[in-house]
Amino acid sequence: MGTLGRVIYTVGNWIRGSGQALDRVGSLLQGSHRLEEHLSRHRTLMSVFDKSPLVDKDVFVAPSASVIGDVQIGKGSSIWYGCVLRGSRFSVFLMRRCEIAGTHCNFCAGDVNNISVGSGTNIQDNSLVHVAKTNLAGKVLPTTIGDNVTVGHSAVIHGCTVEDEAFVGMGATLLDGVVVEKHAMVAAGSLVRENTRIPSGEVWGGNPAKFMRKLTDEEIAYISKSAENYINLAHIHAAENSKSFEEIEIERALRKKYARKDEDYDSMLGIVRETPAELILPDNVLPEKTTTRVPTTHY
Amino acid sequence: FHLNLSLSLSLSLSLSLIPKSTAMATSIARFSRRALTPNPIRRFFATSAALATNTEAPKPKLTVSPSPDRAKWDYRGQRQIIPLGQWLPKVAVDAYVAPNVVLAGQVTVWDGSSVWNGAVLRGDLNKITLGFCANVQERCVVHAAWSSPTGLPAETLIDRYVTVGAYSLLRSCTIEPECIIGQHSILMEGSLVETRSILEAGSVVPPGRRIPSGELWGGNPARFIRTLTNEETLEIPKLAVAINHLSGDYFSEFLPYSTVYLEVEKFKKSLGIAV
Repeated sequence: MGTLGRVIYTVGNWIRGSGQALDRVGSLLQGSHRLEEHLSRHRTLMSVFDKSPLVDKDVFVAPSASVIGDVQIGKGSSIWYGCVLRGSRFSVFLMRRCEIAGTHCNFCAGDVNNISVGSGTNIQDNSLVHVAKTNLAGKVLPTTIGDNVTVGHSAVIHGCTVEDEAFVGMGATLLDGVVVEKHAMVAAGSLVRENTRIPSGEVWGGNPAKFMRKLTDEEIAYISKSAENYINLAHIHAAENSKSFEEIEIERALRKKYARKDEDYDSMLGIVRETPAELILPDNVLPEKTTTRVPTTHY
Repeated sequence: FHLNLSLSLSLSLSLSLIPKSTAMATSIARFSRRALTPNPIRRFFATSAALATNTEAPKPKLTVSPSPDRAKWDYRGQRQIIPLGQWLPKVAVDAYVAPNVVLAGQVTVWDGSSVWNGAVLRGDLNKITLGFCANVQERCVVHAAWSSPTGLPAETLIDRYVTVGAYSLLRSCTIEPECIIGQHSILMEGSLVETRSILEAGSVVPPGRRIPSGELWGGNPARFIRTLTNEETLEIPKLAVAINHLSGDYFSEFLPYSTVYLEVEKFKKSLGIAV
């Protein structure tokens, strides 16, 4: 049976080879319009010259996110899909060059341009965190995001300081020099103008951002709860995104096999089937259900 | 004097190319700067700049312990479909989902719909459904919260013939059939956009808001603008169908199976990794 297996394998190889040859013929026919697929060159953690990101080992950085330059991310934080955290790379060298050329630049400080993200913070999907390099006021500002901050989807944070346990709503745009104090909330879709200071415990929103109302105590508690939920979610996404090809294929087969089995029908027959271990999500993912175990068919 | 200038210039330039000792570099810099700025105004700026380099903003203490195994670059890029536990995102056979898109968790993309570049549909807490001929345009983020303030199921349901404009953010909202959501609009938890209504671009719909049927709303927060005429109402599904046709063009650009695996094999062979 060994030789038969080898024969089948060789025939398979021939078929694959002829398929590839056909593909090349088709590409020739398509000429210059053919689709050329290449390996993805997207770099998740990218260093610019000597400034490389310093990311803790607990942090979930989505593969489609870009963490570039002088960025520091503390433990337990998560950078979700499609984010761009771009810390600049200004150094003393560049400043000298500008002055020798005879032009006067606004970049006075040397290495203050970095992004520092605390621990337990989550920067949700498609948001941007930049430093303010050039400014109408001439100041260069680093971006500091504290611990347990929730930065909503598609937020734009540009040279701001966001203190611990703050909440930046989704779609918010925070311009240069904004300071969001502890336990403050920036409402969704707001545009916070330059150098605004959002005091602790208040909700600011609108375009331009104005004081809307004060936060109740349970809302403040909700902010820290949501940060905690995101830490748990991030663990799952991190595990899933770092799987190797073999693991992905095994789970795909398992999922296909397990999909046919309905728990209600099985219980009527008196069969108890065990969910394969790979397909069970940890209990603490979904909020409020940390103590009870929810049956999987009721999602 | 000019020789001195050019000498200092070349010295500083060559030294700057090797940023080994910044202390020495800064001293040379100060020397060259002083030599090259005869203008008193420029000298004033130079000294203020020198002062600025010496003062450092006190950095907050952040202990970061990086892992040496972290992958800085994955040749596979970002996977399009990310299953979480038992949930596997389902994409219909004729739905166009751009390669940039991330579908995670419980996401169902039904027939004829399209998800354009850069969108993120994250159904990790709750379901996301994209109905027939609906489209989610570029860079949208569709997420579902765990619970909605209205008490109704907090899944995000985008019904048939809905056009969600580019860069919008949808979170736990229900969009009934035949709507148009303008670009860069934000729909918060529990909002309901009833059938045949249009949301203007840039509108922010607060949590729990209901947009009644057949009306045009817009602004931040979303306010009533006017009711839609019958002709405009008839145009809504036509827009969705037009985008469906467009997505068919994009869909046919992609081969069902790619030949990137050949490049991967070559790459691995060049690195000596077993294929």
